[in-house]
Amino acid sequence: MTASTPAAGIGASTRRRDGAALLTGRARYVDDYRPHGLHYAAVVRSTVAHGRIRSVDVSGAETAPGVVLVLTGEQAARHAGPIPYFISPATRGGREVDIRCLEPELVTYVGQPVAAVVARSRVEAQSAAAAVRVEYDSLPHVLDADTALLPDSPRVYPDWQDNVVFAKTYGAGDAEEALHGADVVVSGEFRIARSTTAPVEPRGYVASWDATDEALTVHGSCQNPHQLRYMLSASLGLAESAIRVVTAKIGGSFGLKMQGLPEETLVCLLSMLSRRPVKWIEDRRESLMSGAREQIHRIRVGAKADGTITGLVNRIVADAGAMTAQAGWAMCNMSASTFPSGYRVPDCRVELRLVATNKPPLSAARGFGKDAAHFVMERAVDLVARRLALDPGEVRRRNFIRAGEFPYRTATGLNIDSGDFAGLLDKAQAAIDYPAVRELQRRRREQGRPLGVGIAFELTPESSDSPGTFVSGFDTTTVRMSLTGRVTVLTGVTSPGGGNDTGIAQIVGAELGVPVEWIDVVQGDTDRCPTGFGNFSGRSMVVGGGSAALAARDVRATLRTVGARLLERDPEACEVVDGTVRSVSEPDCAVPVPEVAHAVLTRAFAAAAEVEPVLESTRAYKPGNIDHRPDELGRIQPYPTYSSCLHIAVVEVDAETGKVDVVDYAMAHDCGTMINPDLVEGQAWGAITMGIGSALTEQLVFDAGGRLVSDRFKSYLLPRAGDVPEFRLEHQVTPSPFTMHGNKGAGEAGVGGAQAAVANAVEDALAPVGACVRSLPLTPPVVLDLIEEATR
Amino acid sequence: MKTPSATRTTFDYRAPEDLDGLADALGTARGAVSVLGGGTMLVPDISHGTAQPDTVVDLARTGLSGLRRADGEVVVGAMTTYRDLLTTAPAPVPLLRRLAAGVTGGPQIRNRGTVGGSAAFANPSSDVPAALLALRARMRLLSPDGVREVPASDFYTGPFATVRRDDEALIEITLPDPGAASFGYVKFKLSVGSWPIVTATAVAESGGGLRVAVGGAGRVPVAVMLTEPADPADPEWLAHIRERVESELDSVGTWTDELAEGTYRRRIAGTIAARSVAALRGDDERR
Amino acid sequence: MQPIRLTVNGDKHEVTVDPRDLLVYVIRERIGLTGTNVGCLTGDCGACTVTLDGRTAKSCSVLAVTADGSEIRTIEGLASPAGLDPVQEAFWKENGFQCGYCLPGMLLATRELLDEDPDPAEEDITRTIDGNLCRCTGYTTILRAVRTAARRAQHRDERPERP
Repeated sequence: MTASTPAAGIGASTRRRDGAALLTGRARYVDDYRPHGLHYAAVVRSTVAHGRIRSVDVSGAETAPGVVLVLTGEQAARHAGPIPYFISPATRGGREVDIRCLEPELVTYVGQPVAAVVARSRVEAQSAAAAVRVEYDSLPHVLDADTALLPDSPRVYPDWQDNVVFAKTYGAGDAEEALHGADVVVSGEFRIARSTTAPVEPRGYVASWDATDEALTVHGSCQNPHQLRYMLSASLGLAESAIRVVTAKIGGSFGLKMQGLPEETLVCLLSMLSRRPVKWIEDRRESLMSGAREQIHRIRVGAKADGTITGLVNRIVADAGAMTAQAGWAMCNMSASTFPSGYRVPDCRVELRLVATNKPPLSAARGFGKDAAHFVMERAVDLVARRLALDPGEVRRRNFIRAGEFPYRTATGLNIDSGDFAGLLDKAQAAIDYPAVRELQRRRREQGRPLGVGIAFELTPESSDSPGTFVSGFDTTTVRMSLTGRVTVLTGVTSPGGGNDTGIAQIVGAELGVPVEWIDVVQGDTDRCPTGFGNFSGRSMVVGGGSAALAARDVRATLRTVGARLLERDPEACEVVDGTVRSVSEPDCAVPVPEVAHAVLTRAFAAAAEVEPVLESTRAYKPGNIDHRPDELGRIQPYPTYSSCLHIAVVEVDAETGKVDVVDYAMAHDCGTMINPDLVEGQAWGAITMGIGSALTEQLVFDAGGRLVSDRFKSYLLPRAGDVPEFRLEHQVTPSPFTMHGNKGAGEAGVGGAQAAVANAVEDALAPVGACVRSLPLTPPVVLDLIEEATR
Repeated sequence: MKTPSATRTTFDYRAPEDLDGLADALGTARGAVSVLGGGTMLVPDISHGTAQPDTVVDLARTGLSGLRRADGEVVVGAMTTYRDLLTTAPAPVPLLRRLAAGVTGGPQIRNRGTVGGSAAFANPSSDVPAALLALRARMRLLSPDGVREVPASDFYTGPFATVRRDDEALIEITLPDPGAASFGYVKFKLSVGSWPIVTATAVAESGGGLRVAVGGAGRVPVAVMLTEPADPADPEWLAHIRERVESELDSVGTWTDELAEGTYRRRIAGTIAARSVAALRGDDERR
Repeated sequence: MQPIRLTVNGDKHEVTVDPRDLLVYVIRERIGLTGTNVGCLTGDCGACTVTLDGRTAKSCSVLAVTADGSEIRTIEGLASPAGLDPVQEAFWKENGFQCGYCLPGMLLATRELLDEDPDPAEEDITRTIDGNLCRCTGYTTILRAVRTAARRAQHRDERPERP
């Protein structure tokens, strides 16, 4: 092992704190917890897309070997109420239904949980689950959102008037008038197929009910432990104080492991009723059911002859699948409000309808709907460029919000804090050597080999603060020092795999003036950490880091005061640096921090009479630039920071098979100050790859009966190492004026930009035949169809 | 939807240590028998309940691995892994070595996956069956009654279906020694992790003539004989090979699964076949 | 049920298994080494990778009974008492992981590659990693880590020849 001390401090690529545990297999994921007496759960799922449950016959399961409990929806409803919504559609003027851990009556998708089994072993539980016989009275089902909007469509929820979950119009100005006065109007219908997040570790929970203490301990692979505790408390009727939620080491999440899914309540209820610890680990086929995105956009964009975009009208139909208490349904809001992205389009109208269908629900997914806005907006900008025969880079440059115009309020009400979008274009074009790649394209075209270059800008509103939800824009951290100088940081933000604990330790180390090796970070434990909101919306370094800094400063102040007293100096003349309290003017006049800590905590009031012997502080931090007061158009501003990036993809298209290869890729990225560049880059590369996957190969495919057929990694194709080029990544730093460290949310940017860049590149490659890219994913059959259609 | 990972009942497990033991195991096995090779397909299928054997006969200890030359033929043991194909030097069948290098799933799969397993599994999307057809392989099947040989061209009867009986195991594959005969091999996939969508193998046969076998596109692999001169750059010749391949596919039926429709496979099959001929000629730089 | 013998990371174990039992679950739940992960049970993701008689295998696709008598190395057996394996060091240095769930496959496949070829071609590096899914990193840092480990391996091999 290398002996050198890793680099630390804000801005250093400090290597991961948990590296040794992960690299040696010692890290404990949820499936690694095996409490004494552990039993296993298996879930019986609906085999029909729509129907009423006529009967559930559990006799075969109850007598199966090893079985201790079989639970039906009807029985579960006697013990558990509905699951609270993470984001309530009703508070947004939408419709809700009760979501239960086991559906007792009306199933609305294939795969919906209807019964469950607890047995001694995993195999026994699964075998018994297979023996549960459920009979349904089938109802007509609808799998497609456009069809679901037709007046004669089957209704997913029969007591609703139609299938619309939620409808809203966003924007400002007079978009139709702007289009009317435009020199050109381009239009298009764009479809984004259903894909999914697919972390390599599926979801899972281990619930242990202690009947004596009436206390419930839940280990879960989840992002938001405090919200989960509240939701379990509500659905199970337990006091929150009786529940402890511990988020195990998480094997990736990307939004999937936000809360509100039936199995969370279910596994706890099974433990309470069976009086045994119960584990349920999601099977890959179950995991792949969670949708990440599926939308249709019908857009019209007007522009002047010089490429200036003057107006935009977009009608979005978003496919929700069935209803969920998870946050996934709300992603379409951000699809709408992210228009018109980082462009100056004051006249903009976006109409959104979210439609229920008989497919599995959406779960939150990296990008959170913003990805769809970028795919569509960037396609639209390219259509303008093509129509006017202008360079797509130049059209973007002409329309970008200028660097001097921030903060800039968009037509949909977002208040973009800062940025330099043209600067990103310069950096990305330099990284890819834009003139050279255009020259390569020209030569390839002469050889009849299609090569395309796609540009896409991406604006990522981050660190959401959404009124009336569990999505809050602040978080809380405790910093505590022991009498030996060890520091424990307990924070409300969680790390689903990205490693923000390392970044938080860097901030605390820098603020406290101690080496990062002295610092332990505790996350994801409702009994230990202050109430917080966990991980979403690229918030963890902004609010986790900000609150940790405030708490660390408090502790530092106490150390400085007492340290100065021990040194017989004025506290104002002392500083805490490198693990010592020392005189600023006489660096040799110093006392080690552990000695100061010892003095504070053992010689209470003696060393410094006015200082309480507490080396601990709990602080909350909320960035600026959040405003929930609706303006005259009813718009609110829920995002403090706006990261931005510019993608350029280079693709080759095999015109005989339709296969697309991404051969080069550059991204210029701006998330303000980077606390740890390695962590930022890792997130960006991962997000780009996720975007390329959903642009080219990833698609959840259902059969006519609503059954998922792409249900394993042999049919749901994630990118592998050979599918992606090594990415060129350039950084630009325009610090946010509204966050403590100038950082902006990082981690989501990449998905939508990559989808758009790849789509634009494919269309550019096929420009000689005149094909128009209208849908994702661009699988070889789809691309071959595009070519044939254009040449026909 | 099947209950996930439902291994509903247990099975008898037999791991014979030689061919006599294998014949005995096959003869005395209870109920539905699955023959286990490298396990890369069968074991997941058992885990997910899509295979529900009463007896698993494991070939792991039968010693049926490796390649050997005998009487102008090359004999490939059924348990020969892709890794064996890659590391046996000099490669008695260069085409199989090339095929093994392109097997999806990383070294873990190349270490475990076997030629015999893939040949007998008869997945229309797999590389191996079409390559065996191109090489005019013969499949050697062992049962309690003895050994019989079936040409690869007669072995495949449909998707995941062969003439192998439940009391038989594929033990060896024999091939005419290809010597230094040139070949072209092209595999088209949707992405690195995808099953092949269409594979094509072109072999210049010693008696003259060009044999091209196409996998992935049909319900079973197909082969066509083409007469020289073959010129992949000549549009007329391209139309000819396309017509021949499509006609063969139409006679066996195209293969559709969740990755690609049969119509798409048929559309590109001629192109991939032509590319295999170009690869044989050494004049195709692409793929 | 039948008894089998396994040597795991040098320790001998005798366990009784059902023929249905997958090697991955026997390692995780009977032997208690949970560093080997389950991601798909179809042999696609590589998180369950172990070394079986010297060769990497996806242990979700191996029946435990088939492995009777085998020598197995898991991710827990990669480091030595002297410290981390150079492959582990390289992945740490290059940030070649985020959530860490895919590491059994990434590390053991890389170790196997470098044992056979300390100076692997770029194509062989990609083909080695292609058996493992990573959803976090986009693979860039993983490929860097393999190259870094290869450079270290060559450096180590050369050292004895230096004066």
